[in-house]
Amino acid sequence: MKHLNLVLGAAGLAVFLAVGEAVPRLGLVKEAYFPPVSTIAGALAREVSDPAFWTALGDTLTGWAVGLALAVAGGLLAGVLLSVVPYLREATASTVEFLRPIPSVALIPLAVLLYGTELRSVLLLVVYAAFWQILIQVLYGVQDVDPVAEATARSYGLGTLARVRYVLWPTALPYVMTGVRLAAAVALILSVTAELVIGAPGLGARIAVAQTSQAVPEMYALIVVTGLLGLLINVGARTVERRALSWHQSVRGEVAV
Amino acid sequence: MRRLLAGIATGALLLTATACGSSDDPSDKSSSSGGVTTVKVGVIPIVDVAPLYLGQEKGIFGKHGLKLEMTPAQGGAAIVPGVVSNQFQFGFSNMASLMIAQSNGVPVRAVVNGVATTGEKGKDFGGLVVKGDSGITSAKDLEGKKVAVNTLKNINDTTVRESVREAGGDPSKVKFVEIAFDQMPAALDSGEIDGAMAVEPALTTAKSQGAVEVASSYVDVSDRLTVAMYFTSAQYAQQNPEVVEKFEAATKEALAYADGHPDEVREILTSYTKIPADLLPQLTLPKWPAEVDRGSIETLRDLGEKDGLYTKTPDLDALLP
Repeated sequence: MKHLNLVLGAAGLAVFLAVGEAVPRLGLVKEAYFPPVSTIAGALAREVSDPAFWTALGDTLTGWAVGLALAVAGGLLAGVLLSVVPYLREATASTVEFLRPIPSVALIPLAVLLYGTELRSVLLLVVYAAFWQILIQVLYGVQDVDPVAEATARSYGLGTLARVRYVLWPTALPYVMTGVRLAAAVALILSVTAELVIGAPGLGARIAVAQTSQAVPEMYALIVVTGLLGLLINVGARTVERRALSWHQSVRGEVAV
Repeated sequence: MRRLLAGIATGALLLTATACGSSDDPSDKSSSSGGVTTVKVGVIPIVDVAPLYLGQEKGIFGKHGLKLEMTPAQGGAAIVPGVVSNQFQFGFSNMASLMIAQSNGVPVRAVVNGVATTGEKGKDFGGLVVKGDSGITSAKDLEGKKVAVNTLKNINDTTVRESVREAGGDPSKVKFVEIAFDQMPAALDSGEIDGAMAVEPALTTAKSQGAVEVASSYVDVSDRLTVAMYFTSAQYAQQNPEVVEKFEAATKEALAYADGHPDEVREILTSYTKIPADLLPQLTLPKWPAEVDRGSIETLRDLGEKDGLYTKTPDLDALLP
């Protein structure tokens, strides 16, 4: 099963690459605007041999990691607080629902005004976008606590902290992990977008320079890199999720198949 | 599993701590040590700002006691707020944007010339191009057609309107759309737009794909048009007049140097842009005169006023050095 998946995945990728090579070669789109895969691969090879590329990659990953960490910490804290303190959730519900749909990129002028084109303006956008993913999942997770389990824990005399640890946390964790996985992807998108639009150092800024310079293959090579990053981050997030939830039936079920 | 979570939590806390700890005093970002003042300059990574990079490399700014920290930003939208909030001490912006900002009460002060047209029709760093087989031969033919500019209600649509006017057409019949410079060649080629006001290197790319230039819109406004300038905030200019003076003097020298050494300009472009090597020698470089041409700016102001760019007439005495 696993082998078949691997083969299918590789075959799908091969077909995708072949189409990418053939479409410009056949003249369906102009090579000048969409270079064939082999040209992009050549540009990618030139990119990875440039130390500035690795600095940019480091900048992007820093923005992503710090932003995600802040969002996870903030989302967890706020989420638990909102659900544990009575009436707080009801009081904040409308504000949360008002702030949540605001696209993070709409805050770019604010970010530039406050922090210029530094890492901190990237962080502002990343944290704003990723925070809600975590918060909402925490809220749902806490809501999912089985009242019977909660009542049982109470009647066994478990204190608030113990109930958070043994009842609330195991119930909410699968939700939180989903939130982290979503937030990890969103954080990457936002850090690259922020760099692209604001010009903060990183892969996004490098893409922007390639665009304004009419260096089309280099631009696509960098876009490929961001795609690969997203892939790796997703795989990583899934691994963390699987390990943290090894006891949960959703993961145990996966193993049994 | 508990250890893993503890590890994640500790990591998150550490990162939070570093993120908070690294925030420095935002009130004054320019720092001086040993008589050298470091200033941040918000620039767009394009041909226009080559004199700064070249001047820095040739030690012109160092000689004046300045060290430039170039911060590439994406267009004036990021640079103007960055300068006003002193994230950058200086910035690069086109003349129309500066006048629009000034008329809106944004405290900007132009310091020194940025870039000017070559003044030669058909051989400028920006031009109005159409698709080769479109049958459009003059700016007048663009009536009823779709023309792309990088920003609506700014320098490029205003100058294109002047080209249409000069060719005897009615500029109000031209439909303008907003497309980034780098996407203009492809949009033109696919027929999505009929014309585009492109600047280098997109202009050369478009021409190499068969596009034809029908007007040099900057030249049509004035053959000495000051297209862009370096600017600072009114507050910074007031508090640091000596730094502004040094920046002005050094930039003038750098502009003159760049103007006289086009080969070195093409060379320095490889350090901060990714312009392909085969495109580099074909680029039309702009002019970098040390002085601004006030007459041309007045013409641009009047044209902009006609197009409704400003909320009130820009005060050039307050804006220009």
